[in-house]
Amino acid sequence: MPEIQFREALRQAMVEEMQRDENVFLMGEEVGEYNGAYKVSEGMLAKFGPKRVIDTPISEAGFSGIGVGAAMCGLRPIVEFMSWSFTWVAIDQIVNNAANVRYMSGGQFKIPIVFRGGNGIAHQLGATHSHRMESVYARVPGLVVVAPSTPFDAKGLLKSSIRCDDPVIFLESEMMLNDRGEVPDGEYLVPLGVADVKRGGKDVTIISWGKCMKYAVKAAAMLESEGIDAEIIDLRTLRPLDVNTVAESVRKTHRCVVVDEDWPYGGMGAAVLEQVYKHTFDDLDAPIQRVCCEDVPSPYNHYLEIQMQPSPEKVVAAVKEVCYR
Amino acid sequence: MDGLAITLPRIGWEGGNAYGVGCLVRWSDAEMSVVDKPRVKRPTKAKTDQRAHEMLRMMLLIRRFEERTYQEYTRPGQRIGGFCHLYSGQEAVAVGIAAVFAKGKDYLITAYRDHGHSLALGMDPGAAMAEMFGRATGCSKGKGGSMHLFQAEVGNLGGHGIVGSQIPLGAGAAFACKYKNTGGVCFTLFGDGAINQGVHNETLNLASLWKLPVVFIVENNGVAMGTQVERSSAEVELERRGSGYHMPYQAFDGNDLDQVIDVVGEAADRARAGSGPTYLVANTYRFRGHSMSDAMKYRTKEELEQARRRDPLVIYEARLREAGAIGDEQLEAMDAEVRKQVDAAVKFAIDSPHPDAQDLYSDVYSEKYPLEKK
Repeated sequence: MPEIQFREALRQAMVEEMQRDENVFLMGEEVGEYNGAYKVSEGMLAKFGPKRVIDTPISEAGFSGIGVGAAMCGLRPIVEFMSWSFTWVAIDQIVNNAANVRYMSGGQFKIPIVFRGGNGIAHQLGATHSHRMESVYARVPGLVVVAPSTPFDAKGLLKSSIRCDDPVIFLESEMMLNDRGEVPDGEYLVPLGVADVKRGGKDVTIISWGKCMKYAVKAAAMLESEGIDAEIIDLRTLRPLDVNTVAESVRKTHRCVVVDEDWPYGGMGAAVLEQVYKHTFDDLDAPIQRVCCEDVPSPYNHYLEIQMQPSPEKVVAAVKEVCYR
Repeated sequence: MDGLAITLPRIGWEGGNAYGVGCLVRWSDAEMSVVDKPRVKRPTKAKTDQRAHEMLRMMLLIRRFEERTYQEYTRPGQRIGGFCHLYSGQEAVAVGIAAVFAKGKDYLITAYRDHGHSLALGMDPGAAMAEMFGRATGCSKGKGGSMHLFQAEVGNLGGHGIVGSQIPLGAGAAFACKYKNTGGVCFTLFGDGAINQGVHNETLNLASLWKLPVVFIVENNGVAMGTQVERSSAEVELERRGSGYHMPYQAFDGNDLDQVIDVVGEAADRARAGSGPTYLVANTYRFRGHSMSDAMKYRTKEELEQARRRDPLVIYEARLREAGAIGDEQLEAMDAEVRKQVDAAVKFAIDSPHPDAQDLYSDVYSEKYPLEKK
């Protein structure tokens, strides 16, 4: 199987879907002539032309809203944000329009639109450019929130998202775009709303998604040498949450650690944790532990930034705590 | 302000037409003369008497509908809840746009003062009233309310509750028209309060940059809730906002139905021809408060009296009378018919069921999850 970069997987998904359906188009800042701020859309302008690969001015609210309006009228836009951190200025368009219009029109409109871009802490970008937006959007009924962790899932999930008739928040990470992984030739899709057991195990369930999956995978390897067999669940879709897969695992292992890079209070991991408690309380042998970011704005300094974030070591420590080791 | 008037060229400012601060409706002398003297000189734009009657009838329907909405909201045992914004006084704008609206091709989107536009585009008054009553038979199944009337099949992209939020959606609809080359345009409406929002700026630039077939129409009723234009916009000639975005702009008398048809029609033609957006300011007046709780203490009696003389229904009725296109008998019959229609709408709403409890969760998503696409 060919091994390709995460960014190439994303590009393949967009190119294939644009070839399949002429109502699909891409717009965003620097997606065209610049070939993508992070080169995800490299070559797409040359392939599809300026009608379907559209450079926008720096107007996140404006072009998000244009995307939603276009989706209401039969198109299937892919809106790229250079960073999800920039969507604080577009949030009214995403929440009040993309998510609400269907409900408040009594189901008269569908909004098939994908908003995608880098989410979370990258590297020394400081407090304004390091926001983790999953909890902001995953709490909104009407939105689907997707966060892949591998090139294979990125391609399959993005293709499903583009074909989905609901607005999808697609969360990537600048820190994953160079990651390589096996992606088969030919068409495949990964379903939305289905978590993936990335590693089977019997002693503890580690739940994560997106970039933090790296910490979970590393931690599991470290734990193995200490005789702890961890099961890892990659949620892949944060809304709607695949509670069944999670609950099934926790009922087997009786112990659970949630790993995410959101803030501790009101963060995404806290919402996931609540769901795990709700469905598996009687099966738990220890209180669930959560490994997340420190409760501070993201610092610029490299060492402080590392200190602020989860790490494989922090995950190992949390697992040992729930295992009483 | 006078100092500015000397240094800046202001279209329509000369000719003794100084609008004092505090005067909300800045009618020009020429506009006032339509009421005072030769108001019927302009021939009606309607191609036939019947078409003229239909338009007058629609304005009357909106007026009576809104009066009844006021009663249903304020009566003991209030039947309409939440925020409710009446369109009385601005009818000519919606009806004039509807007159040039190409059904099946064009789109219209507006803010929360949306009853008039929906009726003008053909919404059944029963479905509109039932929506405000929160009933399952409402246009949005009782989930939208007064501020969120939608009718997809006629291209009515709805009323929107956040000031200015719908402006990019309108440009998006126009984007879709252009992308699919349908020849359609999107009439994108908002109030004078919305022009100070960020997305207004962003959308005007994007629409002009991309030459989208959109007609921006500011319904300038002179006051954003309780803040007069003079207190909210540094440039009181609102149409000049269009110039910064390299698009044609024009202010006009939004209470003169024929002028609305003329000006908006021309802008729509320009959009259809691929020449991009136009920025229009329809000067009008709302007879009622911003919403139902507004006592309108910011208005003088004199101002309201002046505005009453500029009532769009009065202007159009007089024009038709002068042209011999309508008489007392027809007008009385029309009013009786419209009142009956509004009564029937209220009865329909009262008789309609509330949504079922299980409808709470319907219409959140289009798809069922987990979603396995093919």
